[in-house]
Amino acid sequence: MIEVQSVSKQYGPHYAVSKLSFTSTEGKIFGLLGPNGAGKSTVIKMLMNVLVPDAGRVLLNGKLIREADKDRIGYLPEERGLYRNVKINEMLLFLASLKNGNTASAEKNLDDWLIRFGLMEWKNKTVETLSKGMSQKVQFIAAILHDPEFMFFDEPFSGLDPVSADLLEDAILDLASKGKNIILSTHNMEIAEKLCSSVIIIDHGKEVLSGSIAEIKSNFNQRTVSVEFDGRLDSESLLKMTRSISTLQRSTQIELADGVEPDFLLRKLIDQVSIRKFEIVVPSLHKIYVDLVGEAEYA
Amino acid sequence: MNRVFVMLTLCGPLLICAVAILPGMLTSSGAFRSAETATIAVAGADNPTLAMMETMLLPEKITLVPSHGSIALLQDEIAEGTIDGYLNIPKGNAGEPIEFVSKNMTDFRIRDNLQIAAGKALLTRRLAEAGIQELDADSMLRVHPFEMAHLNINRTTEKSPDFTMILTTSLIFASLLYLTILFYGQVVGRSVLMEKTNKTVEILLSSVRPIDILFGKIFGNALASLLQYGIWISVSVALLKFIGPRFGVSLGIALTAETFIYLVVYFILAYFLYCSIYATLGAASRDEQQLAQISWPVIIILIVPLMLITAIISSPQAPVIFALSLFPLTAPIVMFIRILLGAANGTEIFASIFLMMVATGGCIALSTKIFSACILLNGKTIKLETVFSMFQPHSGERKIK
Repeated sequence: MIEVQSVSKQYGPHYAVSKLSFTSTEGKIFGLLGPNGAGKSTVIKMLMNVLVPDAGRVLLNGKLIREADKDRIGYLPEERGLYRNVKINEMLLFLASLKNGNTASAEKNLDDWLIRFGLMEWKNKTVETLSKGMSQKVQFIAAILHDPEFMFFDEPFSGLDPVSADLLEDAILDLASKGKNIILSTHNMEIAEKLCSSVIIIDHGKEVLSGSIAEIKSNFNQRTVSVEFDGRLDSESLLKMTRSISTLQRSTQIELADGVEPDFLLRKLIDQVSIRKFEIVVPSLHKIYVDLVGEAEYA
Repeated sequence: MNRVFVMLTLCGPLLICAVAILPGMLTSSGAFRSAETATIAVAGADNPTLAMMETMLLPEKITLVPSHGSIALLQDEIAEGTIDGYLNIPKGNAGEPIEFVSKNMTDFRIRDNLQIAAGKALLTRRLAEAGIQELDADSMLRVHPFEMAHLNINRTTEKSPDFTMILTTSLIFASLLYLTILFYGQVVGRSVLMEKTNKTVEILLSSVRPIDILFGKIFGNALASLLQYGIWISVSVALLKFIGPRFGVSLGIALTAETFIYLVVYFILAYFLYCSIYATLGAASRDEQQLAQISWPVIIILIVPLMLITAIISSPQAPVIFALSLFPLTAPIVMFIRILLGAANGTEIFASIFLMMVATGGCIALSTKIFSACILLNGKTIKLETVFSMFQPHSGERKIK
């Protein structure tokens, strides 16, 4: 278990992270979400003991994080950093050796992962011969080759085509199912919604929202309905009971005004058009994020 | 270990020997002599003086022709190229100078030989006029050889090397150190800069501490450079010892077993000190251009002992030289030369080494902190208070506010 207890990190007068707390457990993928510059990378560096918090503490399985815990951590940075003129297998085994891992086990794992990602024929090639997506996969292997207990992935899907992204998703889900404690940092809400069981959204170093995906969605005001109908809608008659009406290709999305219930709108619509479908829209994490972070941005 | 490194290591001794032997070979072979023969007119010399000079100068291919013409005529002959120059021998013994006039004043071979021959001939003339024959004059004027010996700590003496040998040894060591630091120091600096800009260091920091990365860089390069230098020096010494004398070039080096140990100690300490400085500069630089610019002060400091070598050899106990032999950045060269001269006692040597070790340790500690700050705050302006805050000890736990 990873416990982050009220950590803060300050650079001069600026707080990169301010009183942040969350918990991540084994077998689950925890999402660390936020816009660019929110402080996600700073949080991850504190989780790896690369940066020391100015306040608060980080606990791994109930104990304060120490230098030796680095061997139990696998890290995929946001920006790619591989030695370009070194062969892939040599570099991966070198990086695994820095974790004081079992060399034989790492060599076996290496072949398994290269086969899984379709990189076996590139094993003895240098990094500079790889495409961006292939480098990303190699970087991912570097992060998990030593079979760490804790894994921190910072924007792992950046630069990947859909097929490679699916491969990586499967790999991450597989690792989680094996009991690994995974923290995924991203600003891609679709990915987070797909993979994470719980998330924390941060902005300007502070928590905006946290909890399981299901809780967040159920707690977020469900004020939007999606309607498919035949006929012509009199939008003006709905002005007082709606905030916005968006006409999409196949449906119309209506955001209800405060105090207006969906069934009241339904009765009004029945009088005007022939309804084919009426659905209360569960907000996406993307929408929740944009609403929250956007509000905070302009507050 | 790439191909360039291997090739440079193997070819290095050949290049060193070529540089060491070829100039001597070419100089002694006359390849650099401007003219095969020289014709010099002599004015004001009597026949015995002229004959004596001719005998001394004939092996040097300098032909003397007596002249009774005016100075203007002689100058015309020089301008026309009939003669290469003229000597104006004073008639009296009042110490008037011997004048040599020529268009080419840089040919030291002609100049030096004329000076020696004319000087000896006039001296012989003066002695003859005083009734002393040449053979007697030779024995009377014979210069006694002068030898120097160094008194060891155990009260034994050993022959001290001469100025030329000490100068040669000092220059070789200083140049070796200078080139090593210039080359490998910049390799370390560029390597740190490259890892920072490549973001590779972020992956490394997830596994090891910044000081481990820094030490790895310096040690790795140290082993490579020491291996290379070890091969270069041992092969070069062997080649010079056995091949040099065959070409008439003997390279005397003023090194004993004891001074060799000091050489190794100072070389290693200087290497670590300067490499840690270069690592700091690499971490603090944005790109290679900036690294080259901010490396200038280091290069200037390195050059100072090189420029002062003759002063160090001439006055090893001068206050400034003494201070430079203790100042860590200049101590490797200055103190080593003082050791070669036998001008440094055990206390001074120990103090110098101790100060170097303290400076190296302090520099590495400072480098680590700046390296950490510059790597972790990449892209942001590094402020001094941020660096100083990293010196404060932390226990990994902070108060929960």
